[in-house]
Amino acid sequence: MTITRRTCIAGMAAMATSLAAGRASAQAAFKMGLLVPGSVAEEGWNRIAYDALKRVEKELGAEVSYVELHDNPTAFEGAFRNYASQGYDVVLGHGFQFQDAALNVAPEFPDTVFLISSSYIYEGNVIGLNTDSSEPFYLMGVIAAKTGKSAGLIGGMEIPPIKQSFEGFINGAKSVDPNFEVPQVYLNSFTDATAGKEAALSMIARGVGIVVPNANAAGLGVIQAARESGPKVRTFSVYSDYTEIAPQNILGTYLADYGQGIVRIVSEVKGGNFKPESNIVFGLKDPDVMKFSYNDGATDAVPADVRSYVDEIKTKIVAGEIVTRQK
Amino acid sequence: MANIESGPPVAVAAEQFKQGGRLASRMVASVALPAAAVLVALICGAVLLAASGFNPWDVFTVMLAGVFQDMRSIAEVLLKATPLILIGVGLCVAFRCSIWNIGAEGQLYAGAVAATAVGVAFDGLTAWVYVPLVIVAGALAGAAWAAIAGLLKIYFRASEIVTTIMLNYIAIISTSYLVTGPLRDAAAAYPQSARLVKEAWMPRILPPTRLHVGILIALMLAVAVYVFLFRSSKGFAVRVVGISPHAARYAGMSVSRNIMLAICISGAMAGLAGAFEIAGVTRRLYQNISPGYGFEGIAVALLANNNPIGAIFSGVLFAVLRSGSELMQITAQVPQVLVSVIQGIVILSVVGFGVYRYRAVRPSE
Amino acid sequence: MEDLATLGFIATTLGATWRLATPLIFAAIGEVFSERAGVLNIGLEGVMLMGAFFGFAAAFTSGSIMLGLLAAIAAGLAMGLLFAVFTITVKADQIVVGAAINLIGLGLTAFLFRTYFVSTGKGVEIARPIAVPWLVDLPLVGEALFRQNALVYSTVLVALLAVFVLYKTSFGLTLRAVGEHPKAVDVAGRSVALYRYGAVLICCSLTAFGGAFLTLGHSNQFVEGITSGRGFIALAVVVFARWSPTGAFFVALLFGLFYSLQLQLQAQPGLLVPYQLFQALPYIMTILALMLVRNKGDTPAMLGVPFRKS
Repeated sequence: MTITRRTCIAGMAAMATSLAAGRASAQAAFKMGLLVPGSVAEEGWNRIAYDALKRVEKELGAEVSYVELHDNPTAFEGAFRNYASQGYDVVLGHGFQFQDAALNVAPEFPDTVFLISSSYIYEGNVIGLNTDSSEPFYLMGVIAAKTGKSAGLIGGMEIPPIKQSFEGFINGAKSVDPNFEVPQVYLNSFTDATAGKEAALSMIARGVGIVVPNANAAGLGVIQAARESGPKVRTFSVYSDYTEIAPQNILGTYLADYGQGIVRIVSEVKGGNFKPESNIVFGLKDPDVMKFSYNDGATDAVPADVRSYVDEIKTKIVAGEIVTRQK
Repeated sequence: MANIESGPPVAVAAEQFKQGGRLASRMVASVALPAAAVLVALICGAVLLAASGFNPWDVFTVMLAGVFQDMRSIAEVLLKATPLILIGVGLCVAFRCSIWNIGAEGQLYAGAVAATAVGVAFDGLTAWVYVPLVIVAGALAGAAWAAIAGLLKIYFRASEIVTTIMLNYIAIISTSYLVTGPLRDAAAAYPQSARLVKEAWMPRILPPTRLHVGILIALMLAVAVYVFLFRSSKGFAVRVVGISPHAARYAGMSVSRNIMLAICISGAMAGLAGAFEIAGVTRRLYQNISPGYGFEGIAVALLANNNPIGAIFSGVLFAVLRSGSELMQITAQVPQVLVSVIQGIVILSVVGFGVYRYRAVRPSE
Repeated sequence: MEDLATLGFIATTLGATWRLATPLIFAAIGEVFSERAGVLNIGLEGVMLMGAFFGFAAAFTSGSIMLGLLAAIAAGLAMGLLFAVFTITVKADQIVVGAAINLIGLGLTAFLFRTYFVSTGKGVEIARPIAVPWLVDLPLVGEALFRQNALVYSTVLVALLAVFVLYKTSFGLTLRAVGEHPKAVDVAGRSVALYRYGAVLICCSLTAFGGAFLTLGHSNQFVEGITSGRGFIALAVVVFARWSPTGAFFVALLFGLFYSLQLQLQAQPGLLVPYQLFQALPYIMTILALMLVRNKGDTPAMLGVPFRKS
C-alpha cells in the first residue's frame, strides 16, 4: 500500500513541476497536437496525419504530440481541451468526427487554432481542411475507362472521404465511357486485409481489370490480390507508395502529401499570418500536396496518348471547368 | 426471508467470507488482494515498458499526475467511468446468475440507437419529460436486445456466450447502417445522426466540466442493484439459480424467469450506458460510439468479484487506466494499446490471487 | 454466356470460401479438442493474433515461412500454457481467463508491432499456391479450388488427423472422457490435469497456426487486429458443429461461404437491400442455426468446470 501512496505523492510533485514547466515552455516553443481516430502504425489515413506531424516537428522545429482515440467520441473533447490548456498553438483533429468536439472547446481557447481534416467547417478558430480525393480518383477513373471495360472499388467504410473519392472515380470513368462498370464493395473494416484481398480476387475473377482500394491497411490485401493475379490485373497505389509491393501491377500512385499542406498552414500560424477566409480545400491545384504520378515499370503502363488526355482533364479540373463530384 | 445469508443454499462468496472470519480479514480479502493484483499488473506493464526503451517510473508518474491534475481531468475520468460502472454493475447480476453475457457492447449500441431515435423525434417537450424518456428508451432497448439471447437460451438452449457475441456484431453493423441511412443527419454529409433536441440533453452537474447526472444515476443504481442482489428475495433467487439450477427448481423457483430477469437487467444497464453516452456526452450517434466499454465492463464486474458496490471502484480504476493511457501517449508517446495488456494482466492477477472467489456452476442441462 | 458467368461466379466463390474458412478451421478444430476435454477457451481471438504477429515477425526477420509458422506455434503454445496454468492448475474460471487472454493478445501484438515494425511497411513473401495435379484441370472449379497454397490444403489433413486422434487413439478416448466423466478418469489412475493441458496446448497451437495463415498464407502483412473477430466466430463454429472435428471443418466452410458471398453480392450492381444486411448475414445465420440444431445434450458434460480431486 505504501508504494501506491508514494507513487501518488511522487505523482503530485511531478505534476506540479510539469505544470510549471508546461507554462514556461508554452511561451518558448511552438506546439502542435494531433488527434487520430485509429492506429498511426496503420498505413493510410492515420499515418498521413502522423507523417504530417513529424514534418511539422522537423521543418518548423515545433514540439509535437499525438493521441490515438479509437472509436471513442466521448474522449475527443477531453483530448482537445488537454492540448489547448497546455498551450498548444495548433491542434489537428484528423477526421470529420472531431468537428463537434472542437467546436465545443474552441471558444474557451481563442489562441489555439483547431484544424479538422475532411471537414468543411469555418467557424472562428475551427477550420476545416479537406483533401479532395475525388479529383485524383477522377483521373484514375479516366485512365481506367480509357484502357479497360470495368474497374472495382474497395472501400474500408462508407464515410465521406471514401465515398467522395469513389464518386470522383465513377464520374471520371463515365465521362469517357457511360457504360463503364464500377462494382463497389465496402469491407466495414480498415484492418481486415484478408477480406480486402478476397473482395479484389472475386472482382478479378469476374473480369474486372482494375481494382482500386481506399481502405487503409485492409487495402494492402487488394494490392496483394492484384500482384498474385498476374501482370494483366492493374491497380493504383493510394495515399502511400506501394509500387515496390506490386511493381508490375501498379499503374500510378496518388500521394496525398498532407504533410506539405499542414506544414504550409502551420507555418502561417506560427508566423501569425494565418487568416483564412473560408475552409481549406487541397486539390490538384496544389501540386505540392496532391501528387499523381505514373509507374513506367508497369506491364501495361499507361500509354502516352492517355497520359496527355489525362493532363488535359487535370488542367480543366484545376481551372474548375470539370466538377469531379457533387458539392 | 429476513436472514437470507444463512439460508441453506448460501452464496459461495458469503460462505467464504465466513470462513475468513473476522471483519479485518474480510477487509484484506476485498481490498488488499485486488490492490495487490493491480500492483502486479503495473509491475508487468513496467517491465514491458522498460523492455521497449521507456522509463516506467516517468510514464506512470506522468499518467497519475495528469489524471488527477485538476477538477476537469477528474471529471473526465468519472465521465469515462460512468458507462463502465453501469455495465459492470449490470453484469454482476448476469454473472451471479451464471449467465455469461458477453453482449454488453451490442446492448450499449442498442441503447444508444434507441436514445437517438427518441431524442431527435419530438419538439416542445420539457426536459423533465424528455430526458427520462430518452433514458428509458435506451434501457428498454438494451434489455430487449439482451432478451433475445435470454429467449434463445431458454427455448433453444443456445449458448448465450455465442449468441451474445453474434448479437454484438449485428448491433454494430445495424448502427452503421442506421447512421449512413435512416438516422443520418439530413443537413450533413457525414455518417452521423442529427443532434439531439436540446431538451433531451442530460444536465451537467459540474460546469464547466462535462460531467453529467449519469454518474449519480450510475452510483444510485449500483447501490440499488446491490440491495436487489443481496437483500431481496428476488435477488436471492437469481443467485440460487446461478449456483445451482437444481436447488432452485427444488425450492420452487423458476429457472427461466430468473435467467430472463438477470439478462434483462444487465442488458438494461448496458442500454443505459449507451443512452448516457448519447444524451450526456456526444449528443449524436456515430458509427462507432464505444471503444469497447462492453468488453471492459466484463473485467470491471470480475475485478469486483461480481459485487455491484465493488464495481464502482473497479469501474473508476479502469477509467483511470483509460484516461492515463491517453495521457501516457500524449506526453510520453507510449502506444496506448499497452493498457489492454495491463487490463489483461489485472484480470489474471485477480484470479491468481484468488480474489475472484465466486465461481459459476454451469447449469447442467 | 450468362450461364458461364454464373458458373464462374460459383467457382470463384468456392475458392474464396475455402481460403476464408482456413483460419476458422484451424481454430475451431483446436477448440473442439479443448472443449471435448472440458475446457472452454474463449481466448481464441487473442491466441490467433499472437500467431499472426509472431509468424509474421519471424518470417520477416528470417525470410523463412517455415520458421514463421514454427514461431507462430511457439507463441500459441506460450499463450496456451498461460491459459492452462490459470484454468487448470489455479482452477480459475475459464471465461475470465479467456477474456484476459484476448486482451493480452490484442494489446501485446499491437504494442510489439508498433515498437518494432511500425515503419517497415514491407511485407513478407507469402506461401506460394500449388496446383494439385489432375484436380486443377477439372472443368470450372479446378482452377479456383486447386490452386491454393499448402496451408489451405492442410486444413483437410488437420481435420482427418483430428478425427483419427479423437476417435481412434486411446489419448483421444481419454481426452473425451475427461470432458464427460473426469472422476472416472481420475479413478482409473490418469491425470485429468495432464490431459486438459494437452488439449489446451493442441487448441492454442492450432489456433495460432490459423492466425499465421492470415499473415503468411494470405495477406503478406501484419495489421493490428487483423483477425477481425475470427476467433469469436470459431467459437460459434464449434457449437454449431456439435463438437465434432468433421463438423467443424464443414461449418467453418459454411461461414467462409457466407463471407465470400457477402463480398461478392455487394459488388453486384443494382442491389435493392443495404449491403450491411450481407455483412450481418453470417451472424444472423449462426443464431438461426443454433435455433435449428438446438442443444441435443451433446455438450461435453463438464465443459467449463474445473476439476477438483475430492
